[in-house]
Amino acid sequence: MNISENSKVLVQGITGNQGAFHTKLMLDYGTNIVAGVVPKKGGQKIHGVPVFNSVKDAVDETGCDISIMFVPARFAFEATKESLYAGIKLVCIITENVPVLDMIKLLEIAHEGKLDIVGPNCPGMMIPDKIKLGIMPSDMCHYGNVAVISKSGTLSYEITKAIGNAGIGVSAYIGIGGDSVRGKTMVEAVEYYSNDSNTKKIVLIGEIGSNEEEKTAEYIKDHVSKPVIAYIAGKSAPEGKRMGHAGAIISSGSFGTAQGKIKALKDAGALIADLPWDVPKLL
Amino acid sequence: MFRKFGIPLANSILINKNDNISEKVNQFSFPAIVKSQIAIGSRKKAGLIKIVRTKEEAIFLCKEYFKRVVAGFNVEAILIEELADIEQEYYCSIALDASERKFYLIASKEGGIDIEDVAKNNPEAIIKSNFSYKEGLTNEIAKEVGEKIGFSGDLLESAIKIFQKLWDITVKIEAHLVEINPLVLTPKGLIAVDGKMILDDNAAFRQPIIQNYLDKKLSDFEKIAVEAGFSFVELDGDIGILANGAGLTMALLDVLSQLDLKPANFLDVGGGASKERVYKALDLIFKLKPRCVLINIFGGITRCDIVAEAIIQALKDFTEAPPIVIRLIGTNEAEGIELLKNEGINVFKDVMDAVNKVKEVLA
Repeated sequence: MNISENSKVLVQGITGNQGAFHTKLMLDYGTNIVAGVVPKKGGQKIHGVPVFNSVKDAVDETGCDISIMFVPARFAFEATKESLYAGIKLVCIITENVPVLDMIKLLEIAHEGKLDIVGPNCPGMMIPDKIKLGIMPSDMCHYGNVAVISKSGTLSYEITKAIGNAGIGVSAYIGIGGDSVRGKTMVEAVEYYSNDSNTKKIVLIGEIGSNEEEKTAEYIKDHVSKPVIAYIAGKSAPEGKRMGHAGAIISSGSFGTAQGKIKALKDAGALIADLPWDVPKLL
Repeated sequence: MFRKFGIPLANSILINKNDNISEKVNQFSFPAIVKSQIAIGSRKKAGLIKIVRTKEEAIFLCKEYFKRVVAGFNVEAILIEELADIEQEYYCSIALDASERKFYLIASKEGGIDIEDVAKNNPEAIIKSNFSYKEGLTNEIAKEVGEKIGFSGDLLESAIKIFQKLWDITVKIEAHLVEINPLVLTPKGLIAVDGKMILDDNAAFRQPIIQNYLDKKLSDFEKIAVEAGFSFVELDGDIGILANGAGLTMALLDVLSQLDLKPANFLDVGGGASKERVYKALDLIFKLKPRCVLINIFGGITRCDIVAEAIIQALKDFTEAPPIVIRLIGTNEAEGIELLKNEGINVFKDVMDAVNKVKEVLA
């Protein structure tokens, strides 16, 4: 999860609508985008960024080490695999609806090579004022010492903007995504930022489904001394109905409910925000 | 699916709606189990699976089943199965643990009932062993689990074969769960009597079985949503909701219910929505006849100007649309607000201001 203003960024799927549009926004932010890759479309330039046919060519020519992915779901597996084998250290998959089995295979490859995957179906990462590796709004906040970790995209924009509006700075923002099988987990992100010397406080944005917040609560109880502030969405969600994200479903019984997560996090010492915009008050 | 992969089943016949029922039933021996084929869970609870003693009973029940409509679905076919001489009922499945990214082979001597109850009341009776996708289900794991639930000799061999076939199915159709419950021991050996699968919607583009299932399972409104590419759940309130992002939409519903306001639906229009998608979402919300519609967009990959264009188009086309309250912020926000202002439509920047406006409209 180590990104900085010195990271050399590759955009996979740079010629598509979303790829080209967000490449422009990331460049405007100051992100050091050095290459794009689209098979059979190499040789052109998008917003001044050279496009290559393969990740290997891009790595050889530019030394890029981090990738952000906009390719369609059915091609995401091949594109990510190509990156992992070509020496990219972290792939941030923005694409949604990537098949679960593809993610499982990719995570096995990443694990063997000690490489990182963030996402899929996520807004990406950002070190405010330094690097934006994602699709989040550029003007949410400035640099500071609060790390924001979120399963949700737009809800995290709302909360991060409220943090920024309150004059509080952010050391890192990471949207891990809401799919059931994905790269960085909430526990891994909390572990990373609890050991990050630039981070003094951690904001967690969770939602119904899975047992990830509960596992994170256990981790916090045993390992994290920095203050943790959490907001959990889905308190009013009906049982058995899937609320958008693949993971956002309350199974029969009490598994994965907002109330269960809130209790677990409270017991671990976290402060719980009742409303999204209460988060800055608790910071 | 079980038949296709060679998992042993009881003798059976399939009766379709237009078949001559008595002609088909005449070829079968009774008693037997009559099972309605319908895309809903808990068929037993809904009375859609019954044991019959005679041919006459079977014919009567088939006719009755074909008239039934359950949760909007018709019974499309009926399976009549030989009643197995049950010596013991087992449970077995392959399940994905998403958080560990591993698969589990799960088996129990206490099959036939809800496995979650067994897990709660008698956890020792459930034998589990996990493995990665790459390793696959090895013979060693299958054998170990089979032995632990008490199989030996020929039965152990056939149990191992069944476990392996469950894994083949899991891989082939990209399932998150493939379950046999109960797996029944009869004098003739092990047979699968009932089963369940959970599939991956994201793989529908390369798994026709998932596409077929989605077509059957969804309500008309949900079908419109799937085809247009957004997520939709109908609720029972009177405020139509259009938002982007699952988390933001859920948080908005939470805020409304904390204020005793009742949403008519959950609708996450998804990332990077096109004008057409937003328009279709509004069209669907209008069909619910809400008293008011609240739009909450925080654009990241979604562009506010595109959302604004869709709203303007929809308001032109639907002259009897209910009052709409709009909150629009994020990527291309200035362009979006400008477009709406030119049409005389007011836009809020703060969610709570928009929510208070909804309150005012409904008062």
